[in-house]
Amino acid sequence: MPVWLREHCWQQTASAVYLSLPVRGLRVTPANIFCTDQYLKVSIPPFLFEAILYAPIDDTNSTAKIGNGIIFFTLYKKEAAMWDSLTLGNADKEKMQYLRENAVLKAQEKAKEETEAKKVTKQEHKKYALEATMKLEEAERKRIEDLKEKERQKVTKELELWKKQQEDAEKQKRVQKGELQEVEQLKEKKKEKVNVTRIPSEGVSKTRLRSTKGHGSCGMFSENFREEQLPAPRSAATIKINFTSRVFPTALRESRVAEEEEWLRKQAEARRTISDDLSELKDLKEEEKNPDWLKEKGNKMFATGNYLAAVNAYNLAVRLNNKLPLLYLNRAACHLKLRNLHKAIEDSSKALELLTPPVPDNENARVKAYVRRGTAFCQLELYTEGLQDYEAALKIDPENKTIEKDAEKIRHLIQGTMQDS
Amino acid sequence: AAGLDRPQVVSHAQQALNYTLFDCKWVPRSARLLCLGSAARGSGLLQLYELRGGRLALLREIEKAKPLKCGTFGAASLQQRYFATGDFGGNLNIWNLEAPEIPVYSVKGHKEIINSIDGVGGLGIGEGAPEIVTGSRDGTVKVWDPRQKDTPVANMEPVEGESKRDCWTVAFGNAYNQEERVVCAGYDNGDIKLFDLKTMSLRWETNIKNGVCSVEFDRKDVNMNKLVATSLEGKFHVFDMRTQHPTKGFASISEKAQKSTIWQVRHLPQNRDIFMTSGGAGSLHLWKYEYPAQRSKKDSEGAEMGVAGSLTLLQNVTLSTQPISSLDWSPDKKGLCVCGAFDQTVRVLIVTKLNKV
Repeated sequence: MPVWLREHCWQQTASAVYLSLPVRGLRVTPANIFCTDQYLKVSIPPFLFEAILYAPIDDTNSTAKIGNGIIFFTLYKKEAAMWDSLTLGNADKEKMQYLRENAVLKAQEKAKEETEAKKVTKQEHKKYALEATMKLEEAERKRIEDLKEKERQKVTKELELWKKQQEDAEKQKRVQKGELQEVEQLKEKKKEKVNVTRIPSEGVSKTRLRSTKGHGSCGMFSENFREEQLPAPRSAATIKINFTSRVFPTALRESRVAEEEEWLRKQAEARRTISDDLSELKDLKEEEKNPDWLKEKGNKMFATGNYLAAVNAYNLAVRLNNKLPLLYLNRAACHLKLRNLHKAIEDSSKALELLTPPVPDNENARVKAYVRRGTAFCQLELYTEGLQDYEAALKIDPENKTIEKDAEKIRHLIQGTMQDS
Repeated sequence: AAGLDRPQVVSHAQQALNYTLFDCKWVPRSARLLCLGSAARGSGLLQLYELRGGRLALLREIEKAKPLKCGTFGAASLQQRYFATGDFGGNLNIWNLEAPEIPVYSVKGHKEIINSIDGVGGLGIGEGAPEIVTGSRDGTVKVWDPRQKDTPVANMEPVEGESKRDCWTVAFGNAYNQEERVVCAGYDNGDIKLFDLKTMSLRWETNIKNGVCSVEFDRKDVNMNKLVATSLEGKFHVFDMRTQHPTKGFASISEKAQKSTIWQVRHLPQNRDIFMTSGGAGSLHLWKYEYPAQRSKKDSEGAEMGVAGSLTLLQNVTLSTQPISSLDWSPDKKGLCVCGAFDQTVRVLIVTKLNKV
């Protein structure tokens, strides 16, 4: 049960009511005061003061002053009239309850309205701020554009001026040229009169040629003079150069270097030993297991004439990797030199097999394979087969004169034997 | 504002073309420019434009059998202004633009496309014989004298059996008297080689780890001062050519300006320390080189070696989405330049405030 505060006193004027409520010793904050347009409550638990006002007041403008143990209310009346009393008398409990609740509801509604009003104003402020910034930026941009435009126009004007100067200069030159040509022609006539003894046509044509060459005779004179000063063309020479080696035909890019190294490494690995369980291979050194290295060795030995050793090298290489056509090709060449003709034919055939598909890249290799096989056939006196191979080689490389000559020779041989038999 | 005191690149005129543009050059002593390239029907086109007002007016169009790749006025006299071109078939031709039906000089110089051409000894610049150098996809660099038919006066070719690399760019330099001349060539494997034509030997070579797209000396007709080499991957190098160290060669500074290929470098004819690079993303960058306090110093063994300076970016601008493959400054008006891009547009630009740099 609250303790009612009843020691209040009040005064009124036509427009306002002054209410003074003693609250001795109690600490009062604005939160303790609740006021709507017809209801006033001060609640400082356990104390309570409540008043249902006689007439509505303007609760937004009314004030409450807290201090010195008294709350002093200044309530502005909605209607200017004198009140009979501060509160509405003889109100029963129900009515009071109703009035209380009503008051609370009203207060809540008011609060809601206030917050919404605040929100709306906030939005408007934001919009305004945004528009203002946009305008500022627009203005800035325009300023810069204008400066640039001014530059452009200035520069265009300068350019036009310069152009005019050029044109004037050219006109001047042409005029000068015209004048000087007239002078030239006068000179010519004089010369003609002097060179009467010479063959007339020769004399005239010579001088005429001189005056038509070049535009602007003063320039022409100086140019002739300069031509005499120019050194003779350089004596031709060649400088041989080497390039930093690069495997790929594409241009070098730093960002691709890592990828390229990776690819090369994988290629090299793929060419290495396919199977490791050949016991003899354990004795070999690392490099001797590399078919490329063995191929190089074989080539060197072929070049020095050591055909048997070359064949050995190629044999080992083939055991390590039997998919390289060049190994068979080179071995075929060795066999030819050693007159192992059947082996030469075998190897050339194997090489051709591996050189499918026939593309421009392996043209050279295929030509060699056909030629070697053809040679082997001819040495075995199987001339028709030999000719077939030579013609296949010629088909790939029609420009090669040696193949053509050899093919001719074989044809003659065939015709010779046919005639014999 | 501080930003607007820098040189500005102002677009003055542009022209849309209906062919692929490979090179554009100013005609010396005039407001005319030449565009050359490859038409869709597989022939070569040469167009002469004049700058009128803010537009380019087409004066003349010349069609040739093979697409044209590059051209230069470098070896022409000021009166005759003959234009030398290299085409896709490896032919070098010199044309008189007043009578372009028959070339004044013609030779099938290379087996494959001529990628780059340069001329020296003409236009009143420098001394000595007029010469033209061409670099081709067949890996050779040849120097021609227009007075000598059919054979080059110098031929830089790979050794027998060496697999060839494409030569992408060539430039003349060091032509300060009648005898001296060097040719610098850049290749697709990153090699840069400097050939001395007086001694007919290789004077210097290096590898910059990326294919070399363009090389140029800051001036052709002085004792060689600086060389700029641009490459793939957005890098370029500036070499100080005054001091050659016996093993280390020339000092250099390199800069990575963009992510894409730098197609061309061109020095401003009126100021040899300013140059413009054009990029694969359609951008142009204007640079200024500053010399160091001392251009050379002695190393531990007492040999002279060069000291590289520093670079500042003065301005950059993006004009197109396609690479700008060719660039030329006008020798007559400071700041006027033309650039051609693979979006089939030729643009005339003016760079302002170069006097204040």
